[in-house]
Amino acid sequence: MTRRNLSLLVTPLVVVVALVGTYVLVGKQTDPLTVSALAGDGADSAHAFDGNVRSAIVEHLKIVAISALAVLAIGVPLGVLLTRTRIRIVSIVVNALFSAGQAAPVIGVLVLLTVVFGLKSWVPYVGLVLYSVLPVMRNTYEGLRNVDPALVDAARGQGFSRAQVLGRVELPLAVPIILAGVRTSLVLLVGTATLATFVNAGGLGDIINDGIKNQRDSVLLTGAVLAAALAVTIDWLAGIAERSLSPRGLRTGETA
Amino acid sequence: MRRVLPLVAAAAFGASALAGCGAQYSGGGDGPLKGAKIAFGSKDFTEQKVLGQIAVQYLRSQGADVWDQTGLVSSQAVRSSIERGDINANWEYTGTAWITYLGHADPIADTEKQFRAVKEEDARKNDLAWIDPAPLNNTYAFAIKRAKAEELGITKLGDLKALIASPKGKGLTFCVESEFANRPDGLPGLQKKYGLRIPKDRIKRLDTGLIYSQTGNGTCTFGEVFTTDGRVEGLDLLPLQDDRKFFPIYQAALNLRGDLLKEYPQIERVMKPVADKLTTREMQRLNARVDIEGVLPDKVAREWLRDEGFVKD
Repeated sequence: MTRRNLSLLVTPLVVVVALVGTYVLVGKQTDPLTVSALAGDGADSAHAFDGNVRSAIVEHLKIVAISALAVLAIGVPLGVLLTRTRIRIVSIVVNALFSAGQAAPVIGVLVLLTVVFGLKSWVPYVGLVLYSVLPVMRNTYEGLRNVDPALVDAARGQGFSRAQVLGRVELPLAVPIILAGVRTSLVLLVGTATLATFVNAGGLGDIINDGIKNQRDSVLLTGAVLAAALAVTIDWLAGIAERSLSPRGLRTGETA
Repeated sequence: MRRVLPLVAAAAFGASALAGCGAQYSGGGDGPLKGAKIAFGSKDFTEQKVLGQIAVQYLRSQGADVWDQTGLVSSQAVRSSIERGDINANWEYTGTAWITYLGHADPIADTEKQFRAVKEEDARKNDLAWIDPAPLNNTYAFAIKRAKAEELGITKLGDLKALIASPKGKGLTFCVESEFANRPDGLPGLQKKYGLRIPKDRIKRLDTGLIYSQTGNGTCTFGEVFTTDGRVEGLDLLPLQDDRKFFPIYQAALNLRGDLLKEYPQIERVMKPVADKLTTREMQRLNARVDIEGVLPDKVAREWLRDEGFVKD
């Protein structure tokens, strides 16, 4: 095993230790509010992965997955479009728009959208996507711009159409940078999805908020540790994907 | 782990206390509380700020030296501050102390008994004294737009069961804060007590502020509210009567360090007439002055004390 492969094991190890530690610590709680917050009303033990916690994880993953698909579907094409346009003002405007989206406090955007449009199920997704699309878009743009112009010229010279150059040369070469952006967006999404609880979307924010409001530290801890573990795990998986999806010639830190 | 949060809160409080050095105590002068040094704290929501200002200004008028520490962020900050002695008085709620601080699961239905139980246990465990509460009860309620209540013919929680079963009950939505949805003393307990079966998709979890606005505009048929909140009046909401006494009683009472009350037992006599005037209705009106009309809490408190004849100018 190479040193790099070994280092890949550190993250899951840390996550497992944190999860088991929390599970043991929290499982000992007998306080009724803690039990009902974690396991649901009428439960008789606080085993952290029952009832409410399980459904919160599922909801959280659902929010993140749907938002992530939307981020990819919006971010990558936008990034590509920005490199295709010669009109500088367009890229300035688009960049400014999404920078503002990322700068805006998500909780404010979510509440504002709900005040304006009412209790709509799309509200949380719009808020989260607005907040996390920037890294994907910007990295797609930067990744494409960093492709050696000589390679593009060579492809054009061989008779490739513009679309073929994009699909067969530019995008594959930009993949590592695009994936780095995806990774950042995913981690942002896991964290900010905890705010969806305030607009009826559930998720781990339910557990965290519950712990804060009722002053039950073990409830708060469970929600926070799970959200962190989820973010770290997703980042780790994305890291592996980044390595294996990159064109072979571009992989770093690997000997042939 | 139960101790971690208070520590963080205490650290935050310590920093704010340092920043507030300089003119700490002010007031003093002649009066029944001459010589008493009171650091008075409050939480950071409207009612607590108004109540806090009422106490600060009134205690000063009675000769006490008062350090105004009202508006501390979060209940934990206030509770850990008074436990450590950083502040030595604040307004606390009987239900909050019983369930959140003292860790009980079930409230006591009788107002008087609930107060006595809190007073006894807090004195024994934490050397914190409670003096007679104000009549106001800042508890939970389900509120509905007044016009909608008339249309549905509902005034109390006991009417809900029949309403949900009737054809009119199809599109009803219940908006609650997320923690309220699972607590045994929240929605599950309420449903049991009143024999209700509210389908899951009819229960919406929202932030507190949103619940008021969305109940006001009808998106939520029923919203979980606090009975003394100014927005109840401001948005023309009707809190449904809790006819089977399910919700805990949250009376506001002065919570003091034991040593302070021992040295100045007259605080109890001095504060009583003020506390007696603070009814649920009156508190709703004072909160609305801040939340709806935008008057500052200290001004609302000053005017109220003057109008009620507790202070002169």
